[in-house]
Formats: sequence, structure tokens, C-alpha cells
Amino acid sequence: MNKLKGNRKIYITALLLCMALFASCVAEKQSMYKKSRMLMDTFVTITVVSGSADEADEAIEKAFSAVERFGGLINFFSDKSEIAEINRKAGRSEVKVSPATIDIVERAVYVAAKSGGAFDPTIGPVSKLWDFTKKKKPSGVRIRNNLRLVNYKNIIIDRDKQTVFLKEKDMLLDLGGIAKGYAADLAVINLQRHGIKSGLVAVAGDIRAFGSRPDGGEWKIGVKNPRQKNGSDEIIARISLSNKAVSTSGDYERYFFINGRRFHHLLDPKTGYPAECCRSVSMIADEGVFADGFSTAVFILGPEKGLELVQALGMDAIIIDNNGKIHATPGLEGRFEIEENH
Amino acid sequence: MRRRALKEDLRLKKIIKNIRLADWMLFLVLLVVSVAGIFITKEALPRGTDVTIEINGEPAYTFPLNVDRMIPVSSSYGETLVEIKEGRVRIREAHCPNRICVKQGWVSKGVIICLPNKILVIVGSGGGDKPGKDIDAVTG
Repeated sequence: MNKLKGNRKIYITALLLCMALFASCVAEKQSMYKKSRMLMDTFVTITVVSGSADEADEAIEKAFSAVERFGGLINFFSDKSEIAEINRKAGRSEVKVSPATIDIVERAVYVAAKSGGAFDPTIGPVSKLWDFTKKKKPSGVRIRNNLRLVNYKNIIIDRDKQTVFLKEKDMLLDLGGIAKGYAADLAVINLQRHGIKSGLVAVAGDIRAFGSRPDGGEWKIGVKNPRQKNGSDEIIARISLSNKAVSTSGDYERYFFINGRRFHHLLDPKTGYPAECCRSVSMIADEGVFADGFSTAVFILGPEKGLELVQALGMDAIIIDNNGKIHATPGLEGRFEIEENH
Repeated sequence: MRRRALKEDLRLKKIIKNIRLADWMLFLVLLVVSVAGIFITKEALPRGTDVTIEINGEPAYTFPLNVDRMIPVSSSYGETLVEIKEGRVRIREAHCPNRICVKQGWVSKGVIICLPNKILVIVGSGGGDKPGKDIDAVTG
């Protein structure tokens, strides 16, 4: 009788253990949840690692909302945005703006100053002369005339009064070169606030990774091939990242050809013409806003001066120069590999 | 004699009770295995190559890539026509301003994006915008 009771105990214990094992598999299994949304005129994809689909969904939705609100503040093309208001009142009066706008304008000016004006958020008057869909190259005279309006030093920020002022009439502030990276940062802050410990935010090609994949490894980011020929060579290199942001500026995004010469959207604020030393620059930084801003700056500066800037900033970069040669900073050793088909 | 039979009967009942416990465990193990099987096949086996059309960030249609068909999709700029043919897909007609999506032509893997229409055509084995199975995102 006692023996039987003993057996029964063993059975029950085994049964409970089995159930517990099963329950733990179901409840605590960390999975990836991914959602995309059309925001800021581009595709925003958020991937999070979570034990619960509901938690993941709620956090992703909160992050999307934050990006949407921010996009509304800084949209260059919307009359209702704070940036449009700043541009309308250029040369006339300062504009009181929200903290996020002050924040990003400050960062834009910082990137401009650090890069000696290679990145300039006031390039607007020149970039609006170029039309890359209608393949319109403006005349040299018009470019020269508008170049005088391009100077980030004429952006006056008053932190106390929360205002931004453009000194010259017809100046245009355009945060397009930095906003997507900033949006990725905002999304990450919101995901973390809602309990997410690992995830990946991609605002188009501006990516910020935090934590690790469900398998414990780092996030794997492909770098687009600037001269893709077919479906099999889309990726030129891959980087493993955790708690870093990466952004790429490339001459293949918006461009047209005239007599075999490529005219693309990355304009040198000093000349008003496309910078020609690089095909693409991928910048790796702690924050998306700096990865985004400095990728443009380094592209404009070219491989040599660009790499100097990257190292001075303590960041990392992959530069593909105009001969197709790939330059990578030493900090990427071991976390960066070039695809076999190159 | 009768007493012995009763004893036997009692023992048998107890054995049956025990067998039931063992059965329970077997049943549970089978359950775990079969449920796990669902997840394992979902995760590990390659999914059939298909075409997913997302409108405004929400998946709207999924079709196999090996069946030729035309899919009219209502979008911001009128009707957009997606064509699946011979294992490839293209946006055949669109009324957006630049029609970059139409110019992109046929694709057999990857994505076609039409920003003005907010349409995303994803081709591949459920991987969507992942060109390599082990890549989480692409910069550029």
C-alpha cells in the first residue's frame, strides 16, 4: 500500500514537472513581433522581442504614435508644421516651438558645426532648385544666388524662450537629413518606456537596435549595395549591432543622369552641387539622430576627411568611395563582413 | 476463496488507477509534442513562396507566387493593378505621380513600394523585406 502511494507521488510530481515545463515554454518564450506603418512619408518598421503579443502590440503602437506626432511637427512639406512656421517667419520673427523641435534643431546645428558645415540643415533654398523626378538641373546662377542663404550659423535657438529664428528672409530649415534618425530614437525611448528590453526600429534605412535578438545574438543589419545589378546582390555587407544606430546616405536614392554624369540629392552646401567622392556612407553611432546627420556630413566630406571626422567623433563608419572601394573604421572589426559576391 | 477474489479485485482496481495516471502522462506528452510540432513546423520549415500586399501598413492580401493572377487594389490614387505571372510580380498599373513602382518592373523576391499609394508588395517566403534570412533590417 505504502509502495503504491510512493509511486503515485512520483507520478504526480512527474506530471506537475511536465506541466510546468510546458507552461514555461508557452508563457516565457521570447518571440519577435514586427509591425510596419506608413509614417513621415516612409515605411517605419518596428520589431520587438517580448514574451507577450499584447505587450508587444501596445508598445509598438505607442512608439508609432510618438513618431507620427513628431513627424507632424517637423514636416517640411506641411503648412501646419512648426518647421513651416519657422520658415514662413524667416528674417521676421522668432517662433515658439515644442521641446522636440528645439531638441532636433539643436542637434542639427551641432552636426553642422562639428562637420564644418558639410551637413547644413539650411540647404533648403538650394535643394528646392533641384528636381530629381523631373530630372531638372538648375542653372549655375540660380544655385549661386541661393547659396548665400545657406548658413546654419543663422539659426538662432533660444532654449529659455523655446524659440527658433532664421536670421535671413527666404532661408529654409529642412530637417530631412536628420529627422528619420531622431524618429528612430524617439521610437526606442517609447518602446523602453513600455517595458520592451530588445528591439529594432527602422525608419526607412535609419535603424536603431537595442538589446538582443531572441536567440541572444546581436541584430544583423545589411548594408545596401549602392550599385545593385540584380536581385542577388542587394546587400554589400552586413554589420552586427546592439545598442547602436546605423544610417546610410547614398547617391542611389534620388538621382538622374545627364551625359553619363550622375546628379544625386546629396548636395554640398559649399557648392550647391552633388558631392562626388562617395557612393554611400553608413554611419554607426549611439543615437540615430547622429548616425543620420553625420552619414550625410561624411558623404559630403569624402572618404579621407570623412574618416578623420568619424574617428574624431569616436564613431564608426563604412564608406564606399566613388571607385567602389569599401573603407571601414577599426572599431567595426569582428562585427562587419563583406558579402561573398563582392 | 471469496475473500481472495475480493483482494484480487481491489488490487486490480488500484492498478487501473495507476494505469490511468500513466495514461494521463502519455496523453500529456503527446499533447506537448503535437503542440510543439505546430510551432516547430511554423518556425523551421520554409513557408511557401507567396506575395503579400500591404495597404497602409496593414497586410491586405496574400497569394501564392505560382498562380498567375491580376489583383486590383483600391488605393489613394485610384486603382492599382498588381500582376502575378510565372513566379514574379509587378505593379502593372498605378496612377500615382511618379509611377516609380511601375518602373521597378518584375520582381521575384524583395519588395515593391508605392509610397504615394501606401502600397507594399512583399515577395518571398513570408520573409518580407528581409533579403537574407538572417538579416533583421537593411540600411541604405
